[in-house]
Amino acid sequence: MRSRLAVLIATLVVLLAACSSGAASPSVAPATPVASIPASAPASAAAVEVTVFGAASLKGVLDKVKAAYETAYTDTTVTVSTDSSSALEMQIEEGAPADVFLSADTTNPKKLVDGGLADGAATIFAGNKLTVIVPTVNPAGITTPADLAKPGVKVIAAGPEAPITKYATQLVGNLAKEAGYPADFAAKYAANVASQEDNVKAVVAKIELGEGDAGIVYVTDAKTSDKVTPIDVPDTANVPATYAGVVVKASRNAAAAKTFLDWFAGPGGQAILSEFGFLPPT
Amino acid sequence: MVDRRRSSTARSGRWGARSLAALAGLFALFLGLPVLTLVGRALLDGSLGVAITTPAVLDALVLSLITTAISLVITVAFGLPFAFVLARRTFRGKSLLEAVVDLPIVLPPSVAGLALLLVFGRRGLLSAPFELLGISVPFTTIAVILAMTFVSAPFFIRSARNGIAGVDGDLEDAARVDGASERQLFRSITIPLASAALAAGLVMTWARSLGEFGATIMFAGNIQGRTQTLPLVVYSQFQSGDLDASIAAAAILVLAAFGVLVAVRVFHWGRIIDSRGLA
Repeated sequence: MRSRLAVLIATLVVLLAACSSGAASPSVAPATPVASIPASAPASAAAVEVTVFGAASLKGVLDKVKAAYETAYTDTTVTVSTDSSSALEMQIEEGAPADVFLSADTTNPKKLVDGGLADGAATIFAGNKLTVIVPTVNPAGITTPADLAKPGVKVIAAGPEAPITKYATQLVGNLAKEAGYPADFAAKYAANVASQEDNVKAVVAKIELGEGDAGIVYVTDAKTSDKVTPIDVPDTANVPATYAGVVVKASRNAAAAKTFLDWFAGPGGQAILSEFGFLPPT
Repeated sequence: MVDRRRSSTARSGRWGARSLAALAGLFALFLGLPVLTLVGRALLDGSLGVAITTPAVLDALVLSLITTAISLVITVAFGLPFAFVLARRTFRGKSLLEAVVDLPIVLPPSVAGLALLLVFGRRGLLSAPFELLGISVPFTTIAVILAMTFVSAPFFIRSARNGIAGVDGDLEDAARVDGASERQLFRSITIPLASAALAAGLVMTWARSLGEFGATIMFAGNIQGRTQTLPLVVYSQFQSGDLDASIAAAAILVLAAFGVLVAVRVFHWGRIIDSRGLA
């Protein structure tokens, strides 16, 4: 009985080890489990894996970047995880195994730098602007950003910590000062917010599904969806978004992570970013 | 007079039966329609075949199968001896221990995820020893397995405890008289007689692991191929606007859940046959 239990526990330990080394090994799918993976597997394989935690608004870009980067650097596998930059920053603080953090603002990378969790300073790699989107059928008949304050309009926003919300709050404040906008525009907009989604992509998805009437998102989000119509925001009120990235200090592949961030901030990444409508870093 | 009253009660009885049936029918529709619509959409518009081969869904399917399997092995390895102790021994604080074991069943999964993070997280209770070993648990596949085991093991332990406790002590005594060792007893009498309960417990535990969402997303994150299991892919694909992929993953989960219910019925039926055979 006892020896059998020992065998069982040993099996378990092997399974768990296989599982964790599977996570660290280049093949993303953990389809390489039980098989007797020698402890030296990661060393013998020259391949490295770079895990990129990216802002939700970078999802389309990062899918393309993954393919392009893996073609350019055949020994590197890129794993992408996207969510709101604030959620990702929190996960990195809690020990999530990210190598590179690409944020939709400069605040969240700065938090990592200030907390001693970053390797080096943050690199600004792109800019963006805001726009209002509505479903193509436009059920609420929205023609100008001022309509966001009309009674009964269901506005979909993101959670208070998400960068898009911080930019959107600024935008709403700026709009309130524009000619033709009511003085209590901000309060009326806030009263119309029906949902606070996890991140900006979730806002876009809700508008695409027609579950909301309008939302403030990045210009790049409007560009990549054919189920939404953008409503332009006056340039005088628009808010520039600044995207910054950083190498995570706890990274086990710091060198590969740095190479990736340099490539992403350099011509290789910039080409893809501008394809999606991102602005060059200023 | 009597006739009229009888016919009126018969009529009201018929009305009562009808409205009862209507109420039951409406509620059955409420419970069944959403799931039927989901599976219907997955099967009818042909998106299931395409969406199931989306890398995100495929990765999640593989990950879910592997992690639930490992979680199940852990649950049996530790849960079976535990259930045996709970069923056979009496000791001080036993009912408290039983309550602790049952707690994850009634705990909201987000609470479970937070609690796991407070113990196994980088800033958690056990962070120092884990750091010494160079192991980081949160946001890894290990965290997925731990979350699954934490929330699902109680189902197996409960079922196994009841199953073992229900084994007729006289049978075991008879075997003892015949010179069977405790080990033989456990293997040849207790386990086979409790097998229906054990199997039902296993199936319920597996189903709970497969469906685990809240604790996983808080404690293990949501990384494709590593911690993004099927329920997480349902959420993520919906959140990013890929409704077809979300429906495909959801349909797989519905079919698995349905299979579990059928399996539990079969095991239950088996137990009835068993007990009849014994009686």
